[in-house]
Order: sequence, then structure tokens, then C-alpha cells
Amino acid sequence: YSELSHTHPHDQYKPTHPCTAWDLTVTVEDLGPDAPPIQISVTSELHIGGVILKLVEKTNLKKDWSDHALWWEQKQQWLLRTGWTLDKCGVHADARLVFTPQHKPLRLGLPNGVTLKMRACFSSSAFRTVMGICRVLNLRHPEELSLLRPVEEKKKKKDKDSSEELYDLTDVPLTAGALNNTSKKLLIHCCSARSHWTLYDGMPAHFADSPKTEAVYKMLSVSLPSPAPEAIAKLYRPASVVDKTHIHTRWLNSSRSLMQQGIRENDKLWLRFKYYTFHDMDPKYDAVRLTQLYEQARWAILLEDIDCTEEEMMLFGALQYHIGKLSLSQDMVSSCQGMDDLESALKSLEVKMVGDSNSTDMLENMTAPELNDYLKIFRPKRLTLKGYKQYWCKFQDTSISYYKSSEDRYGEPIQQLNLKGCEVAPDVSVAGQKFCIRLLIPAPEGMNEIYLRCENEKQYSQWMAACKLASKGLMLLDSSYQNEVKNIQTFLAMQRSNSAAPAAQTDESINTHSLVSPRYHKKYKPKQLTPRILEAYQNVAQLSLTSAILKFLQIWQALPDFGISYFMVRFKGSRKDEVLGITNNRLIRIDLGIGDVVKTWRYNNMRQWNVNWDIRQVAIEFDGNINIAFTCVNADCKVVHEYIGGYIFMSTRSRQQSDTLNEELFHKLTGGHEAL
Amino acid sequence: MDDIDAMFSDMLQEMDLLTQSLGEEAESAPLPKPPTIPGPQEMNFSVGFTDFNASLHDLEDNDLDALMADLVADISATEEKFATEKDTLKGSAPVAPIPSQPPSNLSFPGSSSTLRQATSSNSIAATPPPPTSKPSKEELEEQIKADKIKLALEKLKEAKVKKLVVKVEIMDGSSKTLMVDERQTVRDVIDNLFEKTHCDCNVDWSVCETNPDLQTERGFEDHENLVEPLSTWTRDTENKVLFHEKKDKYEVFRNPQNFYMWKKDKKSLKDMKEKDKEQLLEENFCGASVIVPDLEGILYLKEDGKKSWKQRYFLLRASGLYYSPKGKTKASRDLVCLVQFDNVNVYYCKEYRIKYKAPTDHCFILKHSQIQKESQYIRYLCCDDEWTMTLWVTGIRIAKYGKQLYDNYKAAVRKAAGSATWASRSIQASSSASTPSPTPKARAANGHAPQPAVETKGSSNQTSFPPPPASMETLPPPPPDPMLPPPPPAPPSTNKVNQFPPPPQFPQSSFPPPPMDDLPPPPPPPPEDSELPPDFLPPPPPIFSSCGGEALPPPPPDPIASLPPPPALQNFASAGGAPPPPPPPPPPPAPAPAASKPAGSVRKVAPPPPKRTTPQLAAPSVG
Repeated sequence: YSELSHTHPHDQYKPTHPCTAWDLTVTVEDLGPDAPPIQISVTSELHIGGVILKLVEKTNLKKDWSDHALWWEQKQQWLLRTGWTLDKCGVHADARLVFTPQHKPLRLGLPNGVTLKMRACFSSSAFRTVMGICRVLNLRHPEELSLLRPVEEKKKKKDKDSSEELYDLTDVPLTAGALNNTSKKLLIHCCSARSHWTLYDGMPAHFADSPKTEAVYKMLSVSLPSPAPEAIAKLYRPASVVDKTHIHTRWLNSSRSLMQQGIRENDKLWLRFKYYTFHDMDPKYDAVRLTQLYEQARWAILLEDIDCTEEEMMLFGALQYHIGKLSLSQDMVSSCQGMDDLESALKSLEVKMVGDSNSTDMLENMTAPELNDYLKIFRPKRLTLKGYKQYWCKFQDTSISYYKSSEDRYGEPIQQLNLKGCEVAPDVSVAGQKFCIRLLIPAPEGMNEIYLRCENEKQYSQWMAACKLASKGLMLLDSSYQNEVKNIQTFLAMQRSNSAAPAAQTDESINTHSLVSPRYHKKYKPKQLTPRILEAYQNVAQLSLTSAILKFLQIWQALPDFGISYFMVRFKGSRKDEVLGITNNRLIRIDLGIGDVVKTWRYNNMRQWNVNWDIRQVAIEFDGNINIAFTCVNADCKVVHEYIGGYIFMSTRSRQQSDTLNEELFHKLTGGHEAL
Repeated sequence: MDDIDAMFSDMLQEMDLLTQSLGEEAESAPLPKPPTIPGPQEMNFSVGFTDFNASLHDLEDNDLDALMADLVADISATEEKFATEKDTLKGSAPVAPIPSQPPSNLSFPGSSSTLRQATSSNSIAATPPPPTSKPSKEELEEQIKADKIKLALEKLKEAKVKKLVVKVEIMDGSSKTLMVDERQTVRDVIDNLFEKTHCDCNVDWSVCETNPDLQTERGFEDHENLVEPLSTWTRDTENKVLFHEKKDKYEVFRNPQNFYMWKKDKKSLKDMKEKDKEQLLEENFCGASVIVPDLEGILYLKEDGKKSWKQRYFLLRASGLYYSPKGKTKASRDLVCLVQFDNVNVYYCKEYRIKYKAPTDHCFILKHSQIQKESQYIRYLCCDDEWTMTLWVTGIRIAKYGKQLYDNYKAAVRKAAGSATWASRSIQASSSASTPSPTPKARAANGHAPQPAVETKGSSNQTSFPPPPASMETLPPPPPDPMLPPPPPAPPSTNKVNQFPPPPQFPQSSFPPPPMDDLPPPPPPPPEDSELPPDFLPPPPPIFSSCGGEALPPPPPDPIASLPPPPALQNFASAGGAPPPPPPPPPPPAPAPAASKPAGSVRKVAPPPPKRTTPQLAAPSVG
């Protein structure tokens, strides 16, 4: 650039003496797009602050200019050091500067798929911009998130754009507004501290200004209803590991500002969890974080971004259903997560106290509740075609006794089945009015298979709930019984409404296709899917909202492919493209042909890693003189560098100092040559 | 009201029966009278007494005394408690909450013990305020009635806690008998066994179950309850409980790299730094979810109902054991789930090459714990070599138990470190031994010498608590067994008997000395013997020496050892309440210090040889 400026035609104006005045051309955005640039007379010794002062005087516009700064178009850089002189910044008469706000509206695609319009800082490093965004959104540990350019959407429907603009936070006064040096420290602290938000009705005060912002908070902190199956099917799904490498080419450079990376006002960026190590997750403080992480995980599963087995998919489906149901019934106040847990704990405590002191309660306990009814029983045996036969059944404690008829009920039962430890599975079709319970009762010789056929939904839900509890050794008088009955009923209701037009989740109805990835849309009809999900649902129906979300995340994190970010690379000395997987503790070399893991290297064996920025090659040395080097095929090698450095940074976070974010260290580890 | 009264007196009678039987059992146990029929009120079982001879020894050993003390303590504690409460209630003449309780309470089968306890304690607290207007005579009667109810309920409550007398075989062929109540975890039991044996208390000691039918063995995890799985054994079972070291129990925590980096060359992993191992554990066990080793490879699966074994490519995931069907990829979506782990346990198998024509002898099975015989619901798998089998079994355990396993390990390491000295051992023992005794009072009493308690109980009668013969029988008196289909409410005792006919081999295994003994049964001591320690059996040397000799060389007197009171005694004391009858002077190898105190069994007093400390101290650092 310096050479260029020497040959520039305006070179003649280059002042030879510091006091020589020359004209600087600055475009002031606030004057409107058609207004001509302003010329101010400056000397090379004038500092940036002085330039701004002159500029503001000249505009004759009375407004708060504190957020404005000078952007040097040709050099793609901000002139933020107000104490530096023009000479020191290298600005000469040929420079075209723009006077523009540092914070601009951005359309932010959240992990839950919603687009939120809000102001973000375009002048600081993307890392710090994310910190500011997370601060407003009430997300702790912003270092785990980052911004990326969205996948281009096929522009077919315009109505989608309008719906995207529903959520707007641009009016929220940014406390992170002027990011000068004094407030920086405070901000850094606040971003990870737990207790700085003044909570109002369970949410940070800055959301409590208007119903509009309250709605934004609710969107952020409560998981969204399941999407319509068509919506899932329409979205882009990676079909191969190669496809999965594409997403990682889109990450912004954390060391540079948004403006420098070509992001402009009102552009769209995605905010995503980038590093899969979630530090110090605490439902009490992490309502938004937990919800958004859940959403990201949910979409990763629905869009087959991470592979799982059918059994796992059914469990994910059941958990989504459960979370969706609980989220709907949740209002703003209790969306302060952890509340529900506390409440239930209190409730159970209450029950205990009452149980301990109340003699009538005791008496009730002594006459234990029972279920008595005619049910049809079927015991499949080889080579027998005997069907269901009706018996008088009595459910008491954890056992079912059955008799020939109700008259015989005081005599010896034909048989008594203790359900403790048994497996209970539904065999239900609402459409076919079939309500069967399949029991596999363990016995020394094996499992006894028994079917109970109920007449109707009500009977089924009662007996099913009882069986379910008994299998866990709980009795009918257990406090969870009524809940269990209700859960089963609502799930049945869901199946009933399946015949109706598929719709997103409403209060009672949901299309089970909304809960699984498109692969299973093809494989199963909703009707076939429901019993499978119902089966998995039995095991999670008792979870509170927070526990269900945590459980979902837990299973997600236990998937073998969890937390691997893929990059297409070319290893030194190799002639074919391969895939490099980066995780929180290791690098994985994957052969594209077979899709197999060829080699893994763990970070704790890593001596050092270097990037040769000229040839864009990453070189890593491991213990025992193992050296690897590769170039990136489709991503910038800065992204790979950042990923590795970022994970090493994440591992330096300890539980004790969770409240301070060592931004400097992050930059050292991820900045590359820009950190210098 | 008449009805109620009638019902009530019915119940009281039953209660009395129960009480009696408690006493009976308590005192008659050491009596080697032919146990033709187990006491009528059978309910809890003993386990593991198939080897008659060994059981005989055990019974006459101090262990049994301690067991008795335990039982007696329960009773006396209950009575004491009742007595004190009576005092406090004096003056008030409660209308006893008779009406609906007794019958329904008795007929309440299958209830969980916790619930039961809550109920019975309720009844005590819930005496309604006294109607002062009543004449004193009536008052008195009511009072008595109420007291009786309370006593009854207390006993019921105690009886509800299921206890098993378990014979545990130790590696050297000797065995120990101990009482396990359903609240105790395997960890508690191991601690108990540490007290009773001279093993080095390292973290590898495990309580295992074997099943000769299926030729399986499984080490119980430390957090599991012991009583529950044992209760599901069939009556004629030949299953055994073993206590021995299992190297693979916690190997994954000592050398996680061998499991988590199993694909790598084992040699290169051999000298992994401790720090790196720790980090591996941290990564895999301390995150939001436990990471299961990414095992995959070819195993043989026994086909359903067939004799053939088929090779399949298996993959282990946190959600279950999968295989990839022929012609499909290893991609998750194509995997077929063989089994999920919620309801099954994993068992090592022996000699399946012969039994099932397996390709190798390195087999494991997955089954519901209650299944005891060959069944189509069992999954049989076979590995190429032993290490592969260890890998898979450990991997499955991690998938099933998750972080619990790691917690168990850490607790075990702490224990092992803590038991390095006798002092710490005895402290631990007294604090950790879970006690069936209901009242603190009883505990306080037992340290001293309420011999009379033993005596009174003892002299009352002597029918039950037969020496455990083969199979199972019961100890304390019975409320309906929660685990088993309950009989109708009426006299539980007789019904119980109906439900559990004496096992077929009962007669042979009962007291007439069995043919093939290496050790002649010691002479049956009369019940009074419990009072006269010296006469009462010297513990048979063979057992002692074999036990001591195996785990550790006969110990020279150790200064440390002599200091604290014998831990075993303490253990039992706290567990039972009544004092164990003072044991005789120790047999030959036992060192002098042990004899100084007449309490506690010889074995426990035996001081640790100096040698022992070394392995113990070493254990944690190794781990």
C-alpha cells in the first residue's frame, strides 16, 4: 500500500511539512446516501479525535456522535485510536474515509432458527462483538459461540422474510454501546459473571421494557414448538462428511471486525455454539444458553448433521415431545429455570411431611389404592393360537392378580404377576381402538410375555401407568401415579390427532414426523412412529423441563460423532483430499474413501503448532517427533488455526475462575499473525 | 367396636407370635439340632449354604454369635424403645388408632420398605389426644392396647427390613457368613468382609455371584444393593456369592488408555504418564455425559435358539450394543440394536466352548438379572481373546452405570487408603456398617454387657434359626415378603411355609454330619454357651489358618493392632445392639494382644502383619 500511495496521482499534495494543511474527504453517513462527502482541512499532525471534532462541527447536525468512528474504505480498517495522528495512521489526502456508527443493526440467526434483529459492534474484533451480543441475549460464556455466514437460502418465498423480522431488539439501549477502554474490563467481567443482571420477573431488566422485548426473551429462553415436517424437509441437510466440511468454511475470523470481513448493516449472520465444551452449565443462570444449546442440538439431529441410531432417534423424539409440551405450559415467570425443580422438590418434601405427621394419611396408606377391572389377558406361547381371555384383574402394590371373575376375587387368584423389574411396552393404536400393554416379566427361566388388553383409553392409561410404576418398584399410591396417567392420556391424544392435517405442535396434538429427521419420514408413517416414540417416552415422561433438556444434551454429547468439526485438508506428502476432524481433545484424520478414522492425535501430546501464513499450511508437532502438516482445501486455514487454539483455550478454563474471561489468552492462541 | 376389638386382638396374637419367633430364632441358632423344618415364620433367606460343611463351621463360629446378637438386639431395642415411649405417654390415655390398621397392615404385601417404615413410625407418633373424661380403668386398658399396638408396629417395622444371611466364599475355599440387610450396598458388605478377613483391602476386592447353571460370574458393583439380586435367586439355586479380587473391576480407572485408546498399540500405551491418564478420565467421566469407549469389532453372536455362532460387526454406544447388518455400512443409521442396557447386566462366562460350542471360551452374556437358566432372552456373545472380552464387558459396564462407576472407584480408593491402619479401619467400620438396629439406645447399650438380654431371649425357646442348610431359609420373623406373591393376610407364618416348601435337598444337608468332610463339625454348644465364652468353640484353626495364610502370612504381633478394640466386635455391636458373646482365646496363630479383650472374634483381632501396610499404601498410588 505504501508503494501504491507513492505512485498515486495525488502524491503531489503530500505535505512536506507537518504544518502544511491539506483537504481530507470524509463521507458522513448520517447526512444521507446522496449527500456529497465533506472536505475538511487538516494537517498530518492532527489526531483522529481532532478530525472527528472538525467533522462534527462541519455537519451542523446535533446528535449523539459518541458511537461514530472513521472507517477507511480502501484499507478496510477502522481508525479507532483517537490519539494517533493522521500521519501515524498513514492517512493522506487520497484517503476516502467514512464517518459511521460502530454499532449497526444485524440480522442474527439464532440456534433456534429464529432471526433476531439487533445492534452489534462492527468495529471491534468478532470475538468481542460476540461477547456484546451474548451479553444482551443473556448468554454466559460467549467464548463458546461465534458468528458465521449463513448458508444461502433458496429465495423462493418472500413471506418468509417478513416473518423473520418479528423479533427486534435494535431499540434496546446497548449498555455495551460505546466500547471504550474503560468499559471494556467491566464488560468482559459481566459477560461471564453470574449475578450482574438485575432480574425482573425472572428475566434481565433490559428485556422488561416492553411486551415486545419480553416476547424476545421468551423466544430466547423457551424452546420453540416442533417445526412442521415440511419445514424440516425443506432445509439443507449435509449428505456426507464432505458436506459437513462446508459449514466450517463460513466462520468469521474472530480477530477481525465485522466491517473488515465485509459484513454490512442489516446483513445476516448466524450465531452458533462453535466449541463443543460447555463450561459450567447451570440451569439457574443459563436459561437462554441451555435453551439455545438444546435448539442447536435438536436441529443438528433433525437435519442429520449428526448421525444417530434409530433407538437414539426415538429417544430424542420423545424428549423433544416432552420438552415441547412442558415449554408450552410454561409462562414467563417459571421460565427462570430451576424454579420447577425447586418447586417439585418442595412439593415432595411437603408430601413427606404430611405423610409423617398425619394419621389419616397413614390410614389411607394402609388401604392401598387398587385397580380392579375386567381385562383381557393373552399369553403368547409357541404354536398356540389362543386369543385373549377375559379375567377379573386386581392391581395392588406392584402385582397384578387375576381371577376368573369378580365373584372369585376373594379366593386364590389364578395367577399373580409381580411386575417389579419387568419391561413394559405399549401396543396401541387409537385408530384401531387397540389398547394393549405388553409385559415382559423376568423369571428365572426367562421372560414371561403377557399382553393385557384394555377396553378404552382411560382404562389403558390407568393400568399402563400402574405397570410402569410397578416395573420400577413403585406403588399406585406413589405421588407420580396421577401424573403418569395424564402423560399417557396426552400422548394418546396426540396419536388421535395425527389423522388431521399435519401441523406444528399445538397444545395437544403433534405430528410425530416433527420429532424425527427426514430419513424417518420416509421410513415410517406417523402412525408407525407414534408407538415407537411412545415407548421411549415412558422413560422420560417424569422429567422436569430442565432435566429433560439436560438429558437431551447428555445423550447428544454421548453420540460417538458429537463435537467433531470437519475440514477438508490435504496432508503434506499426500495427493488426495482428506478430512480432518477437530474436537475438544483430539484431531482425527479421516479417509474420504472409506469414511474411516485413520489416525487420531490428542492435544495433550501436542508440542506446538504453527501456521505458515504464506503458503497457508498448518504444521503440528506431537510428542515423539511426530510432525504433521496440511493445507486447507476449502476453508481458510485461520479457521482451523482458531479451532485448535480455541479448544486449547477452552481447556484452560478452570472451575474456579469461571467469572473472568481471559480474552488476551484467547487472542494469543487463536489470533495467528493478527495477534501480533 | 366389637368387630374392631376382635380384629385387634387377632392382630395382637399374631404380633405375639412374631415376637416369640424372633426370640426363638435368636437364641436357638447355634443349636445344631436337626433342622428338619425351618421355623414357621420364614421370610428372609440365607444364601449360599450349599456346602454344608463349611456352613456348619461358620455357624458355630463367632460370626453366628454376632448374628444372634444382632437379632436379639433388634428385639431388645424395640422393646426398649417401646418402654421409653410408654413412659412418656403415661398419663395420657389415647384412644388407640386401632380400627383400620391391623388387618390392613398385615395384609400389605409387597410394599417397599421405606414406605413401610414411614408408616409404622407414623402410627407411633399419631396417638390422638386423650379423652380425659374416661374412667381410669378403661383408660388403663386403652393404654395397654395402644402400647401393644406400638410394640407390634415397631416389630413389624423392624421385620420389614429384609435381611439375608449370606455365605460368602473366599478364594481360598473358606467362607464367611454375614447378615446383609436390604439397605446395605455392596460397598458396605465389602467393608464388612474386610473386617472379617485378612485381605489387603485393595480396591480390586469384589463380591461376585456365580451361577453354575449358566456358568457365569458377575462382580456386583459397589453401589448396588446385595439383597435385591440375591432375593431373586431360585430356592434350589446353587448360585454362590464369592469374595475375591477381580483385576478388571477398576482396571479402566487405573489404565484408561487401554480402554479408551484400545486401537493403539498396547506397548505404546504402556508407559503413559499419570497426568495423561488423569486427563483421560477427566475427559471421559467428568463431562456432562460419560463417554463410552468407542469399541467396535467382530464378535460372535449365538443365534436365537440355535447352536450356531455367527460373526457380526459390533459397535458399542452409550445407548446400547449394536451390530451392522451384512451389506450395510457402519453408519449409525444402519446399525441394528442388539440390546439396550437398562434392564440387563453383563456376565462373564466359563467354558462355553463345551457348553454351547462357542468358538472360544471368552464369552459374555447379557441378561436380565432375574433370569437364572438358559433362555431365549439371554444374549450370548463370544470374543476372540480374553482382553477383547474384558474390553467389551468393561465398556458395557461404563455404558450402563456411567459416572457411578467412577464414583465407586474413588470411594474404594479412599477406603483402601483409609484402611491402611487399624485405627482408621475400626472407626470406619463402626460408622459405615449399616445397622438394622432401630434405636440409638440399643446401640449404646450393646457396647457394655447386657448379657442378660441374650440370656433371656435365649432361654425362651429354641426352635427356629436352624443352621442354614442348603438353600435358603429365614431369619427374622416375617411380614409378607415384598418380593414374593403375598399370602392372604391371615397368620403369615403358616402361609409362608406353604409358599416355600422346604427344598428337596434340605434333609441331606441338614445337620447329620455329611459324609465327605474334611472338618468334623464341632460339638453343638448348648444355648447357654453364649454366656460362657471360654467353653464356646475355639474357632476351628483350619479356617483361620487358611484364611490368614492365604491373604497374608500369620501375623506377628503388631503394636498398632493391639490398640483399638477389635473392629469386628464394634461392627457387630453397632449392627446389632446386643453384645456378642465374648469369644474364646484365639487359636494358635493369633497373637497375644487379641486375647487381652474377651470380645470380638479371634480373626478380627488378629493384628495385621507389618507387611500388610505396604500393599495398602501402595494401592492408591497405583490406582
